[in-house]
Amino acid sequence: MEVVVLAKWVPTTQEEELKIIDEGRSVDLEEVPFRMNEWDTYAIEEAVRIVKEHGGVGWVISMGSEDADTALRRGIAMGLERGVLLETEEDLIDPFQRAFIFKNLLQKKGIKFDLLLTGGQAEDDEFASTGGVLAGLLEVPYASMVIGIEEISGGEITLLRELEGGLMERVKMALPAVVSIQTGINEPRYVSVTGVLSAAKKERDFLSAADFMEGAKGLLQLIRVEIPPPKEGAEIIGGDLDGKVSGILNILKEKGVYK
Amino acid sequence: MSYSLIIAETRKGEFQEGNFDPLYLSDIVGLPSYILLPEGEYGILRGSCDKVIVAPLKEGEFLNPLNIIRLLERTFQAFGEPSAILLPHCSFGIDVAPYVAGRLGWPIITDISGFCRGEEGEIFIKTLYSEKINGHFRLKEGMRFVGTVRKGVFPKVAEVVKETLFEEAPSIEKDPRRDFIEYIEEEIEDVDITKADLLVSVGRGVKEKGNIPLFEELAALLGGVLSCSRPVADRAWLPKARQVGTSGKTVRPKVYFALGISGAFQHIAGMKDSDVIIAVNKDPSAPIFQYAHYGVVEDMHRLAQKMIENLRDQK
Amino acid sequence: MLGLLKREDLFACIQCGKCTGSCPEAGKTSLNIRVMVRKVLFGDWEDKEVPWFCSSCGACTIRCPRDIKPSEVVVGLRAQMVEEGEIPSSLYRALENTLVQKNPWGRSRNKRDAWTAEVGFEIPFIGEDTLETLLFTCCVQAYDPRCMVIPRNIAKVLHAAQVPFGILGRKEVCCGNEIRRVGEFGLFKQLMEENEANFERYQVSRIIALSPHCMNAFKNEYEGGDKKAVHYTQLLWELIQEGRLIFKGSYDKRVVYHDPCFLGKQNGIFDEPREVLKAIPGLQLMEFSRSRENSLCCEGGGGRMFLDVEMGERNGHKRVKEALALGAQVIATACPFCLLNLEDAAAVLDADIEVRDITEVLMEVL
Ligand SMILES: Cc1cc2nc3c(=O)[nH]c(=O)nc-3n(C[C@H](O)[C@H](O)[C@H](O)COP(=O)(O)OP(=O)(O)OC[C@H]3O[C@@H](n4cnc5c(N)ncnc54)[C@H](O)[C@@H]3O)c2cc1C
Repeated sequence: MEVVVLAKWVPTTQEEELKIIDEGRSVDLEEVPFRMNEWDTYAIEEAVRIVKEHGGVGWVISMGSEDADTALRRGIAMGLERGVLLETEEDLIDPFQRAFIFKNLLQKKGIKFDLLLTGGQAEDDEFASTGGVLAGLLEVPYASMVIGIEEISGGEITLLRELEGGLMERVKMALPAVVSIQTGINEPRYVSVTGVLSAAKKERDFLSAADFMEGAKGLLQLIRVEIPPPKEGAEIIGGDLDGKVSGILNILKEKGVYK
Repeated sequence: MSYSLIIAETRKGEFQEGNFDPLYLSDIVGLPSYILLPEGEYGILRGSCDKVIVAPLKEGEFLNPLNIIRLLERTFQAFGEPSAILLPHCSFGIDVAPYVAGRLGWPIITDISGFCRGEEGEIFIKTLYSEKINGHFRLKEGMRFVGTVRKGVFPKVAEVVKETLFEEAPSIEKDPRRDFIEYIEEEIEDVDITKADLLVSVGRGVKEKGNIPLFEELAALLGGVLSCSRPVADRAWLPKARQVGTSGKTVRPKVYFALGISGAFQHIAGMKDSDVIIAVNKDPSAPIFQYAHYGVVEDMHRLAQKMIENLRDQK
Repeated sequence: MLGLLKREDLFACIQCGKCTGSCPEAGKTSLNIRVMVRKVLFGDWEDKEVPWFCSSCGACTIRCPRDIKPSEVVVGLRAQMVEEGEIPSSLYRALENTLVQKNPWGRSRNKRDAWTAEVGFEIPFIGEDTLETLLFTCCVQAYDPRCMVIPRNIAKVLHAAQVPFGILGRKEVCCGNEIRRVGEFGLFKQLMEENEANFERYQVSRIIALSPHCMNAFKNEYEGGDKKAVHYTQLLWELIQEGRLIFKGSYDKRVVYHDPCFLGKQNGIFDEPREVLKAIPGLQLMEFSRSRENSLCCEGGGGRMFLDVEMGERNGHKRVKEALALGAQVIATACPFCLLNLEDAAAVLDADIEVRDITEVLMEVL
């Protein structure tokens, strides 16, 4: 089994008061610490387990600035073998373009996979698209938001997809395939600082994303970013008891957790 | 004139609420709307769209990106190429939209939550960085894209009443490489609170162990899972595995519904990244209201009782 | 293999059981530290749960007649699990958070100085005007609203006593004391290096630690062997002796003092906090039956702030009950972890008793 994971090094913005710079065109991330996209740690853990059970080689591939090398090192520290970084200083936000670059990389470098895993989405742009677009470009089967891999055998994979409201679907797919992983599929192992440091000694490939741009044009343009009006505390649902109850039920319905 | 093709989701034969947002977005953009669906009865759509196109596929075959792309190829032949392919932003939408975009070579925007038209052309708004930023996106090569649309953000354009035509989509040969096998309900026993979409979480306001079943019932009726703050777990009213917080579990459900929890730092740290936090507390100055998106000042027992009555009535 | 210890070091153990005898977790959890040392010595320790029960109070290591350092055996076992990646999920979060945001709660590093907003005067960055006294905030006091009063109070006291001082603000990182005790030595080293680099860069000659845990790390564990660190109670006692604090009122309450493990038994600071309390007019100081070296651990150390374990009664509850029995109106302490644990216990027990940090008591009369 050749298992490839696409992992992203993302800014940890959940707690930050973000500032907009560049005349409204970008977000100031200068002071924001980065980390491995949370979904990707689950994808890597899953890949490590699959390779352990079925043999083969696990890859971690990332795209970003040179800091994203840490994503490779963490992937290797968790148990993957090979790391490739597509270096770029450009903020390539269009998931179609990103997927196209990954496609070019896989094809030009002859990286064959049985299974390619991504996190369910990236914390920064939440497009949840790169893996799916890549599968489309490569014309291989795709399943998203996978919460369980039940069996891999005979060139097939049986998996569970997470749907809404506690429902799951069991799906069977032919390999090679692309799968996006939902958090909670496993318990990712902790990676110690020492582990990440020693992973730095492992060989990794550093390539320039610019060399894989052929045909990978951006179709989507982020022309402006805005900070939505601040929300002061909770929006209070008032009224009589009935009003409060229906207010709550409406929110639950809107979020798709109750039908 | 071109049109937008809405690929709609049904689950267990039921037309999903979230399909209306792509439909309304299509109206706002000003495109005729064609809705593509699996086998079924869709009388409810009469008047709300221009065409209902029913595919000769069962739900399990339809909710599959590999079959959808084949269906699209045939649909384009029959009805022409749309300018927009829109889906609800849900487990179905994000399964199909990116794959379709890749196959067609079209741009994709997911989780669209706003639209405007101005000097810069057509702008689609999508939130970035955990909703802290609104990104304004423009299609570089004009209106031809795949999009998923956030639920509950686009209002119905009031006047629109349409002459709805019902059509059959051409049949396709199914792609053998992906197969739906079955639906499975997640088991509620032996719960892992970190995996739940909806957590109904009780704090010391629950008062005594004897009140727990009331909230268990509420959680069950809502299809959620019951979790708690530390004092509740400490008293063994609920198992330790249900505790949310720094010394319990860190959770990030779609909705965290907290009742009788004051909002101590150690508790907040374990749930603050939930998509939506709804807090019920009888004390309007409880700190949890600073972190919640929605607040209800009410006695949690009275409220739970009433909710249960309502939910039972609906069943 | 065992953190700082080698297995050979354990041969000296005579299995006398003083460690278990003094362990605040013995009996109430399945941690038996004497048995653990024995099994580790023979290489047959397998359990992955029990090592997390230790609250790092240090009693075993202090009592051990053969200088075995049983509490370090625990840290060694934890270090192995950390390197293998198998640790409880709540500790996983705390470590990841510390790596990314430099505090175990994962709050934004950029908000580390948020507590300064309400002090009413500008607190300078340590690099300005060659200030040499550093007020080290500590994570819990930088972020937990309940504990933010402690740095605010000390800042006010220093300001009033005209002691020039500065803070590291957003440049400060977790001291690493608990990180080391959880067994994440690599991360501890990283934090230590970052803090030490700042101490050197800004020529810090004195560090006022608000938490005994930070003080312990600086004094006993930083490679630079930072002898410059003092706990805030030491500083307060100094200021009182020099007559630089003027008391205005009187605090007519019965107060029992709870010795934090990292201040008292591990660093021998028993008297300064008591002297400060005694100096407060009207205050009647009481003692727990278990005090000073024998103080009962609040169970906040060694990662236990981030991990609840199955056990009998929390020690905090025992402490609160004893204080009530003594007739105390206030439990005073000098560590944020003790403060939180004891206050939580008092709330859970609905006990009619206040739990206060010493600075809070002091501010009542300044
Ligand atoms: C080391 C340490 C670790 C900790 N870890 C955790 C942790 O992991 N998770 C955690 O939760 N806590 C943790 N705590 C405890 C935390 O500090 C708080 O004490 C705890 O979260 C409070 O729980 P609560 O909100 O349920 O109770 P309280 O703070 O007592 O709040 C009860 C709330 O219920 C409201 N209420 C009462 N009756 C009603 C009613 N009838 N209807 C509506 N509202 C009502 C009250 O107004 C109040 O706001 C920890 C503490 C320490 C010291």
